[in-house]
Amino acid sequence: MKGVLLSGGSGTRLRPITHTGPKQLVPVANKPVLQYALEDLREAGITEIGVVLGNKGREEIQEFLGDGSEFGVEITYIVQGNPLGLAHAAGCAKDFVGDDDFVMYLGDNILQQGIGELVESYRAGDYDAGIALQAVDDPRQFGVADVDDTGTVTRLVEKPDDPPSNLALIGVYVFSPLVFDAIERIDPSWRGELEITDAIQLLLDDGRRVDSHVVEGWWKDTGKPEDILEANRLALENLDGAVEGTIEEGAEVTGSVDLAPGAVIEDGAVVRGPVAVGSDTVIGEGTYLGPCSSVGPNTTIENAHIESSVVIGESEITTSGKIVDSLIGRNATVGTAEGLLPEGRRLVVGENSHLRL
Amino acid sequence: MHIITHTCPSCGTVVAANELESDRVMKCPGLGCDTVLRFEDLPAEDREHFLENRDQYQI
Ligand SMILES: [Zn+2]
Repeated sequence: MKGVLLSGGSGTRLRPITHTGPKQLVPVANKPVLQYALEDLREAGITEIGVVLGNKGREEIQEFLGDGSEFGVEITYIVQGNPLGLAHAAGCAKDFVGDDDFVMYLGDNILQQGIGELVESYRAGDYDAGIALQAVDDPRQFGVADVDDTGTVTRLVEKPDDPPSNLALIGVYVFSPLVFDAIERIDPSWRGELEITDAIQLLLDDGRRVDSHVVEGWWKDTGKPEDILEANRLALENLDGAVEGTIEEGAEVTGSVDLAPGAVIEDGAVVRGPVAVGSDTVIGEGTYLGPCSSVGPNTTIENAHIESSVVIGESEITTSGKIVDSLIGRNATVGTAEGLLPEGRRLVVGENSHLRL
Repeated sequence: MHIITHTCPSCGTVVAANELESDRVMKCPGLGCDTVLRFEDLPAEDREHFLENRDQYQI
């Protein structure tokens, strides 16, 4: 079985963070989102992986993944270019996949429990496709599956007004090479994209068997800033922190703390886990770093109060104002305006930024 | 929809036809690969199909 990891898409909903890089490299618990999917594939025994690249952030993704050897996998790049839909992305992988079955994994999705059970369930039966499902509150916003008692899919509906179930399709699929024939036979949808649900529906219409697996544990599509913060919270709660950095005497540290090599929690700082602190970052005196925060590498934080936030890295934060539920991009400086006249905040804000002051 | 790709003979990197056509001639995007890929490397019928249905491959 091979893996096809989708790493295209424009990331518009994550601007301004995605002005300078692809959304798949935004860190969650100090690890790029894409790496979670790669590790899930590897843990399911899939080491031959095709990485589909779009128009944006190609070089960054190639630089991060390299040939895959650092992650214990072998990577082939597939340049899709124009974002013509998930089925187009899959179709571009045809030569790479050959006669194998394959898992297609959306590179901006994170699943708590990986994909082992989905792959097992597919392998256990005589299926031509397998889809991952999760119960959602409002299925009308999703692709929804109708399944029988054995989990075999009977029908798929895209964003239905009257959903047949509350089981939404999430970003992982298993396919036999038969899907390529179905993709050849579908046309772009009204939005100009080749839809993977249309290809799966065609398999069903052909009498092919499509398996479903309801994914236990959380699942997160990290398309928006609030999703990144939520995924970060969930991932930190899962994380067994390793203290490889230094906790100075006099620092008050409770809960799970993941401290990378070279990181320091200084005397006089208060840290309440779960938190992750990247390499060579200093959590300085007078700082409160609260639960569900990740601070990336090479960052200095002094006299600040930060909680439930992601600081991507290479930054300096010395404001006395409280920072909560925030996503702070690379190379940011957040200082204090205290004592400056005239009184007021001083901002240099990039395009498409969102601030609540 | 007929999806047309070209696989680099040196490194296995796959490039979609829309990408090849927009550049006509490109250095293979595979890491450390210097092979030159051309739209003309595609079989004649694929090229013809692509050019006739070009709108489908743009967005
Ligand atoms: Zn090449």
